[in-house]
Amino acid sequence: MKKLLLYLSLALTLVASPIEKERSIYQTILRAIFPEKAVINVWLDNPKKYEIFEKIHGVHVVKNHKDADILILYHSFDVPAKDKIIFADGYLVFEHFKNRIVGGFYWQKGRPNLVFVKKNLKDHNITLPPSLRDYIEDDM
Amino acid sequence: MRPINGIYFLLFTSIILSIVYLHYGVTQTHTKLTDNFEKVFVEQAGQFATNIENELSSLLDSNKTLYTVLKENPSIREDLERGMSFLVTPSFKYVYLLYRDSRGKYRYLLDGSREDKGIFNQKLDVDKQKWNRCYETGKDQILMQKDLDGLWVTYLKPVVNQERVEGVIAIDFSTSLPTTIAEATKPIENIFLYIFAAIGILILILLYQTILNIRTKKESILDPLTGTYNRNYLKHFLKSINPARYQIMMIDIDHFKKINDNFGHKAGDMILQQVAQTIKEEVRKEDRVIRFGGEEFLVFLHKKTLECSAAQEISFRLKERIERRTFMYEDTPIHITVSIGITSNPEHFKDVPEAIKHADEMLYIAKREGRNKIIFDVHKKSVQNSAQKSISEVKEAIENDRITCYYQPIVDLESAKTVKYEALVRMIDTDGKIIAPYLFLDTIAYTSVYSELTKRIIEIVFKQIKRHRIPISINLNLSDILDNMIFAIITDEIQRNIDLADRLIIELLENEHNSDIENLRNRLIELKSYGVKISIDDFGSGFSNFSIFQDLPIDTLKIDGSLIKDIETSKIAYTITESIVLFARKLDIECVAEFVHNEAVRRIVKDLGVTLGQGYHLGKPEPEIEQKTLMRMASEISA
Repeated sequence: MKKLLLYLSLALTLVASPIEKERSIYQTILRAIFPEKAVINVWLDNPKKYEIFEKIHGVHVVKNHKDADILILYHSFDVPAKDKIIFADGYLVFEHFKNRIVGGFYWQKGRPNLVFVKKNLKDHNITLPPSLRDYIEDDM
Repeated sequence: MRPINGIYFLLFTSIILSIVYLHYGVTQTHTKLTDNFEKVFVEQAGQFATNIENELSSLLDSNKTLYTVLKENPSIREDLERGMSFLVTPSFKYVYLLYRDSRGKYRYLLDGSREDKGIFNQKLDVDKQKWNRCYETGKDQILMQKDLDGLWVTYLKPVVNQERVEGVIAIDFSTSLPTTIAEATKPIENIFLYIFAAIGILILILLYQTILNIRTKKESILDPLTGTYNRNYLKHFLKSINPARYQIMMIDIDHFKKINDNFGHKAGDMILQQVAQTIKEEVRKEDRVIRFGGEEFLVFLHKKTLECSAAQEISFRLKERIERRTFMYEDTPIHITVSIGITSNPEHFKDVPEAIKHADEMLYIAKREGRNKIIFDVHKKSVQNSAQKSISEVKEAIENDRITCYYQPIVDLESAKTVKYEALVRMIDTDGKIIAPYLFLDTIAYTSVYSELTKRIIEIVFKQIKRHRIPISINLNLSDILDNMIFAIITDEIQRNIDLADRLIIELLENEHNSDIENLRNRLIELKSYGVKISIDDFGSGFSNFSIFQDLPIDTLKIDGSLIKDIETSKIAYTITESIVLFARKLDIECVAEFVHNEAVRRIVKDLGVTLGQGYHLGKPEPEIEQKTLMRMASEISA
């Protein structure tokens, strides 16, 4: 079922607008990381991207990183809360935090790319659903 | 109108076909242009990829894989990437080399791209299914990237070492040319879209209008209550039919007024609907059922051949079915019957309306004969004398006050004085010509026009009685007295002129055998109660017999003209007349001799004891009553 949802969300990326594509991908990612949570609190370092997350069902964008379940970094190379789960939107940020980041999403050559880091997932006791396991990298 | 419609249709179709052809042409041009550009780019990409492949081939040997060579030699990677970057242009946006790892993921070996550059062994999410095809077939692949932003086509070329694909060279084109072509043709495409939308809407509107027209047309020719055709339809139908191919059936629900009176109009409507439904069920598809009047239905029964006749079978079946059926209205059973008049050969009439009137006449007879009957036109001559007036002509004459009476004096044979007059009906033609009754009475017999004429004559006669204060007789058939409608008209007129009724004489003609003698007697007694005198006309001929005096209250007896005419020469005529006179004297009944055409006859009948006479010798029928006679009569009456 989850696989079907993933395919559906990826299929959506092919026909939807870039914002809708991103929204759909992030919905899949956040639900995979927090399968049990009814409302996921998200903190972003880029207020311009609020509109993507505010419209995701079950996601609440918080202003204070302390209230967040996950920090999504677009350009920061400094993490305000060390104990929080972080996720990168952009290859450079992903590269920078590759030793502690759970994953990253970025566009390369016009193609959406998704990566999860196996070791860091394990550190945060996150088990991804089978549909996303294909995107897990063993060694960065 | 039809040829014009055809031209419009042809014009409309031509315009639509031209637009479709034009649209096809534009689409084809667009496709060809795009295909040509694609071909140019693909050929160039193919050559670039071949050059890269050649360069890579020089590095490969049987001992090491491409991955191993490039992993172990970063400087070679750098050189190659620099070389690949020379191929990068705004159109050839990305030039790179990927390999497929053991988990089936695609990763960079080289990337000559100037932006979005991947690093060695970095994963790139691609459309695996299509890329795998390149790996599996070992052949170049061209991928149309309709779903990726900024990309148009990806050219894939496998790098083969030792018959194994070890990597895939990828070149992504990103050109605005297809977009430019698409944008250039977009306004034209849009115009076509609007034209097709407009045509679509136009066709929908036309369809809607057509449906509305059909519905309106249908509604205008259908009776809303019964669902049968109405008179509007009849008007059109009559224009198009060959009367020889139809039989006409006029159906009327008996005593329908009583249903309305007893159960209300809703019940009447229900009966009309169900009778109409029954008629529709009994007739065939090719027949036409028309609601002709209130409770009258006109049915045109189609004749498959000129000789065939369905009227008899259908009418009997219909009559039986309605008679046997119980109609239920609010749990109340209602039984009805129908009377039917039929014109079997409408082609024998002047026109179809005349044939319909004839069916109506037959229906009238069916009603007169007790209802619940079917009357075919066998009783009536269907071909009319050309001088004979039609029903509509007589009706028109009544409406336009062209009915008049001529008055023939009835004279006292002793004193030679006029004692009363006989009113003889005449019709005045539209050109003023006087028409004799034999030219129109037969035509209107048994129709409502006959009743109207009777009413008109009584009105005229009462006017004359009122004006001249003299007794005047009118002629009626015994059957007229038995006819409810006519009898009602007579009594109405008498009651309206009750003070003049004692000067009205009704001369009755026994033209057919009457079985309902009791009813006849009662009605004559009723007439006499108003002071009206009853006279028996043409006695001694036809159906007349002496027993009538036993049953009916007769005041005067008019001896038939055929006896008087021959009285000079025929001993039999003389003897019969003598017997009639003797008989009348015994019963104290006044005798009038008709057809007194000369002095000798006058003398003979006078000698026989006949008191009154009538004939050309005594006075011809005249349009006006003679003033001199009137003055004399007035003075006698006053004396």
